[in-house]
Amino acid sequence: MSALSIEALEAGYEPGLPIVRGASLTVEPNEIVAVLGPNGAGKSTLIKAVAGLVPVTAGRVLLQGRDITGRPAHRLVHEGLGFVPQTENVFVNLSIEDNLDLAASIVRAPKKQRLAELYALFPDLARQRRLLAGRLSGGQRQMLAVARALVGAPKVLMLDEPSAGLSPKLVGLVFEKLLEVRRTGVTILLVEQNVKAALAIADRAAVLVEGVERIVGRAGDLANDPRVADLYLGHNGRVA
Amino acid sequence: MLQLIANGVIIGSVIALGAIGLTLAYSILRFANFAHGEYLTWGAYLAWTALLGFVAVMGPMTPIEPFSFGWPLLLSLVLAAVVTAGLALALDALLFRRLRRRGSAITLIMASFGAALVLRNMLQFTYGAVPEYYSREIQVAIRLVPRDVLGGLRVTPDQLLVLGLTVVLVIALHLFLTRTTLGKAMRATSLNPQLASVTGIDVDRVIRATWIIGAVLAAVAGVFSGLTVQLRPQLGFDLLLPLFAAAILGGIGSVYGAVAGGLIVGLAESLSVPLVGAEYRAATAFVVLIAILLVRPTGLFGEKA
Repeated sequence: MSALSIEALEAGYEPGLPIVRGASLTVEPNEIVAVLGPNGAGKSTLIKAVAGLVPVTAGRVLLQGRDITGRPAHRLVHEGLGFVPQTENVFVNLSIEDNLDLAASIVRAPKKQRLAELYALFPDLARQRRLLAGRLSGGQRQMLAVARALVGAPKVLMLDEPSAGLSPKLVGLVFEKLLEVRRTGVTILLVEQNVKAALAIADRAAVLVEGVERIVGRAGDLANDPRVADLYLGHNGRVA
Repeated sequence: MLQLIANGVIIGSVIALGAIGLTLAYSILRFANFAHGEYLTWGAYLAWTALLGFVAVMGPMTPIEPFSFGWPLLLSLVLAAVVTAGLALALDALLFRRLRRRGSAITLIMASFGAALVLRNMLQFTYGAVPEYYSREIQVAIRLVPRDVLGGLRVTPDQLLVLGLTVVLVIALHLFLTRTTLGKAMRATSLNPQLASVTGIDVDRVIRATWIIGAVLAAVAGVFSGLTVQLRPQLGFDLLLPLFAAAILGGIGSVYGAVAGGLIVGLAESLSVPLVGAEYRAATAFVVLIAILLVRPTGLFGEKA
């Protein structure tokens, strides 16, 4: 059974104007899958629709075989789906500790134990747990955002452009951390602009164009696929 | 002097209770609810209706010494708070929730202004425009400070009760916001609604809690105002501008700011009476408001945007 299965999903902010137009994708247990694609391809909308933040107009989403289509975001958290938004993904007015503590109160996680596990996974956060999240550097803020999403011990973690606004070195650190997270048994689906970094850690990837997946394959194959470069250069995948 | 300060604190505590609801609704829903004043009026009149009901069933009440009212008023206050919370939830379901989905902030503000007019006229239609009182008992004020010390101080037991209950409610609210999961969820939602929902917070539930708390405090403030002054259909509307002044002065969105703002506005109104006369006292709240905003544009407890 797939960890996450997206079937012919149609979603968008305005009725009658779908941004995701029948996209399908499966993520197997403990896999890292990257969704790539040019600007405006609907990558973020796709992941937000799965997370319950954008209305779904057609298609289905299955989380470990259970239909979760159209469930509100807050319920999905309790069902084992973690989501890291691209921006404003930590409570800037709260300390690191309060961010994690709040998340633990909401999902009713065994607080002490779960926070200890997360601090072990993110030693940088453990060292400065009283620091306001708003004062963290970009890389550490992203680490906190990931840790926050992991508090409820999700089966599937989704990330919207985790590399956005980070220097190449920090992108490397954050992505290495994602590999560590995967080793704890978490399945990962990420949306990325940074093709190279994403393909370096992903098992498989899908290239989304105009709201539909155009190419799906093993990350290593996609890295050398001339069609991927074409799609990014604005040919939109149409053969002239 | 002391008397003016005491009067200011008593007016201020009514304003503070009202301003908390206004500031909470703003912090969660991001709009200024002009209908909030009517929750005070409705709360006050609903309590009056409940009181008449109690008297009709149980006969005339004997006041609890030394107050001007008996147990029925306290029960009526509880009933009125519950029904006012229902009124606020109904208004949200009928109007604000629909507009939140597609309207802009200005749509919500204008809608709340319209709702305020409807609520006030419905109330006046039901109850009439003649002022009413919870009790016709004459209360003897207690002299707390003799006349030769700073002009002396006399307060009625009712006024002391209003002050005491306000303090209790503010402390209870503080504990709720800092200690309970729902309270923390409310704070998180005010900081970042979308992040709150992906953290597992049911934002709709938080919104309902916000309306309930705001309406309950508004009903209490309305009853307090009715108890210490009188019941009039304009009770809430007349308090609306001081409520906004208090909420903005304290830093809109901040509960503690609303309490501090309420006290400052109450004191400013009361202390200005001998200086400019009672007709202009409402304006002094705004002079203080402007002065504070010039120095601190985010208000006393406001967070930087």
